[in-house]
Amino acid sequence: MADHFSGPRAIADPASDIADVYAFPSPERPGNLVLVLNTFPASAPTALFSDAITYRFRVRPVAPGSESAAAPFTVGEDEYSFDFTFDAPQQPDGPDTTVQMGTCQAPGGRQVAFQVGNEVPTEAEGLKIFAGSRLDPFFIDFVGVMVTEATGKLGFRSDASNVLEGLNVLSIVLEVDAAVLGPAAGSLVAVVGETVTSGERPVRLERMGRPEIKNVIMSPKKFDTVNSDLEIRDLFNEEDAFGVRPDYASTYRARLSANLAFYDGLDGKTAWPLDEQGSHPLTELLLADFLVVDLSKPFSEDGCFEIETALLAGRPHTTCGGRSLNDDIVDTLFTLLVGGVDGERISDGVDQPTQPATRSFPYLNASNPTPPDLGARLAAQMPPREEAA
Amino acid sequence: MTGASPRKWEPVTTNGTIAVTNLHGQIDGLAVRFSRADTGETPWAPLAVAQGAALIDLLNLRGHILGRVADYERAAELAERLVHIAPEDGTALLARARTRATLHRFAEAVADLGAAGRTGADEATLAAERAVVLQALGCYADAMALIGKVAERQSSFTTLGALAVLQAERGEVTEAERLFDEARRHYRGTSPFPLAQLDFRRGVMWHREGDLGAAGSCYEAARHRVPDYAPALGHLAEVELLRGDPQTAIGLLRPLTWISDDPEYAGHLATALHAGGRVHEAKQWRERAVAGYDELVLRHPEAYADHAADFWLTVGADAERGLQLALQNLAFRQTARAHALFQRAVLAQNRVAQAAP
Repeated sequence: MADHFSGPRAIADPASDIADVYAFPSPERPGNLVLVLNTFPASAPTALFSDAITYRFRVRPVAPGSESAAAPFTVGEDEYSFDFTFDAPQQPDGPDTTVQMGTCQAPGGRQVAFQVGNEVPTEAEGLKIFAGSRLDPFFIDFVGVMVTEATGKLGFRSDASNVLEGLNVLSIVLEVDAAVLGPAAGSLVAVVGETVTSGERPVRLERMGRPEIKNVIMSPKKFDTVNSDLEIRDLFNEEDAFGVRPDYASTYRARLSANLAFYDGLDGKTAWPLDEQGSHPLTELLLADFLVVDLSKPFSEDGCFEIETALLAGRPHTTCGGRSLNDDIVDTLFTLLVGGVDGERISDGVDQPTQPATRSFPYLNASNPTPPDLGARLAAQMPPREEAA
Repeated sequence: MTGASPRKWEPVTTNGTIAVTNLHGQIDGLAVRFSRADTGETPWAPLAVAQGAALIDLLNLRGHILGRVADYERAAELAERLVHIAPEDGTALLARARTRATLHRFAEAVADLGAAGRTGADEATLAAERAVVLQALGCYADAMALIGKVAERQSSFTTLGALAVLQAERGEVTEAERLFDEARRHYRGTSPFPLAQLDFRRGVMWHREGDLGAAGSCYEAARHRVPDYAPALGHLAEVELLRGDPQTAIGLLRPLTWISDDPEYAGHLATALHAGGRVHEAKQWRERAVAGYDELVLRHPEAYADHAADFWLTVGADAERGLQLALQNLAFRQTARAHALFQRAVLAQNRVAQAAP
């Protein structure tokens, strides 16, 4: 699952658990940037944002790196940060009505107040805001992913089910007028979402850029002979996406290269030969874990990884990149990992979310008032042990 | 010795009302149904077992926070089914061990930990669980050795917190205080539950030491984190009663009788009402507590014999029954507290015998 339940710490306070981050040009207002941060996977419609957490979008200008540079992208120093904080809930009309207020702090310190769950978006000087319970837009044959990892063979089936069908998340949707970012941002920007503790000593709890970096690519331990017993995801979550600490960089590289080599071998062919040090060609790209969006391009429903793959192939990108809500990124990711930049399309058999996202703000669908329970769904979908092993 | 304030260091945590609302939501979101599993229709893979175990842990947490015996029982039932479905799965066995330890079925919990070990479950996790059982049985030195052994694999907060509680139970108050403070400094999460539990356990230590001021401020700190935290509210009410303020105690206990099904609060409310001169009302709550304990000592004698004994020796006013249960409790575990309870019961019995015509 994209970043759902990505590490032991997220379970302790589910309101800190980032499920997904999306970034795309507005389909309604070309050039405007839409940012979505989904937290609290499999939540009840009554779920509340934590008042002890800052939910943050970070946007930085980015440029393709030179051929000689180690990193595929050069990230600018200017940062546009949008911090969302929430109050403790109030019950102005008795115990049956819970009201939670939030505040968005935009670059420059401007603050915009809004009410959680208000279907009428809050608009203020180039910002449009919604926060509240929504239907989870992510879709995946999670069982197929698990079987693939367990058996070393692609385990997707054409009749697979979306494990997140009908489940809810807590969403923050922000649409930003490009003017708010200013000309220094340029058209190519890098985006990450974070949850950070409030208070005097902020601690990064979770952060997310590209989908499935932690849960699919970094989570398996058995292929990594260097750090075979390390639950690496909490450690990786603590990192600054725009500057990984050198202390642990080699640890992440070892895990990424080992696991990426495993995925490359799933079709019995090598699309990504390792270098002399055993490094996978995608390791540096994925270690710099942020979405890259081109705001000069129109909205595109399937641009995820397109800018990155174009860069790897040495050709100009053609889409806005980033990540939109209906993008079938599991197929895209497995195609890239297994078959290479122009590999044959791999399908996980699940091609759409519970309800396709709309093309008007806030883009995500209303939450399911009676969501199914995830445990029962997992139990029902899981294959026999013999098959999975 | 006077207790230090637990608010020397204040990590920011999620508002307790939000956290409890979201805990309910988490449990509902993971509410695994076992109907199909019971028929053997659905083979359970490790991930589904892990989700079941997560649900069991959340139920145990809610059982503790809101004082709900029904949650403990539901967790225990789920754990039994989980092991039935996946008997070779270490995660399932660990989950059952935890539920058994919660209900003080320590020998069975240890057996589950052994079985989990044979399936290859993580040694550090097993050692941490064994330490919990050993501590509950009063084997403090062994428990401490195990906590030290797993320290490298646990967070500093978890290790320091476990050591603090252990030292508190041993009566090593100065060292416990240092460790409680140290644990707080190492807390890095946003969930209020671990800190509320830490404050509560610190309060219990001072309560036992007879420092009602320190105990009260620790319980208040726990309540500040989680306003509905039943054990903190119940103990705070005890403190208020000991300070001679039955009205405040009544105010604290009455909401607990709505959210909790533990007869302890009905019993305490009866005591407070009696102390406040509301004898008729006290009698009604006493009867409710009697009914609750009668059921609980039948269903979970290991977990509730000591609470029930204390009830009969106080507001329950049946020294004979109190002695029986204290003796039963002593058979389950030979801790200092179990001995003290038994001695109190013997003294009460003697007083009754001496007073008899």
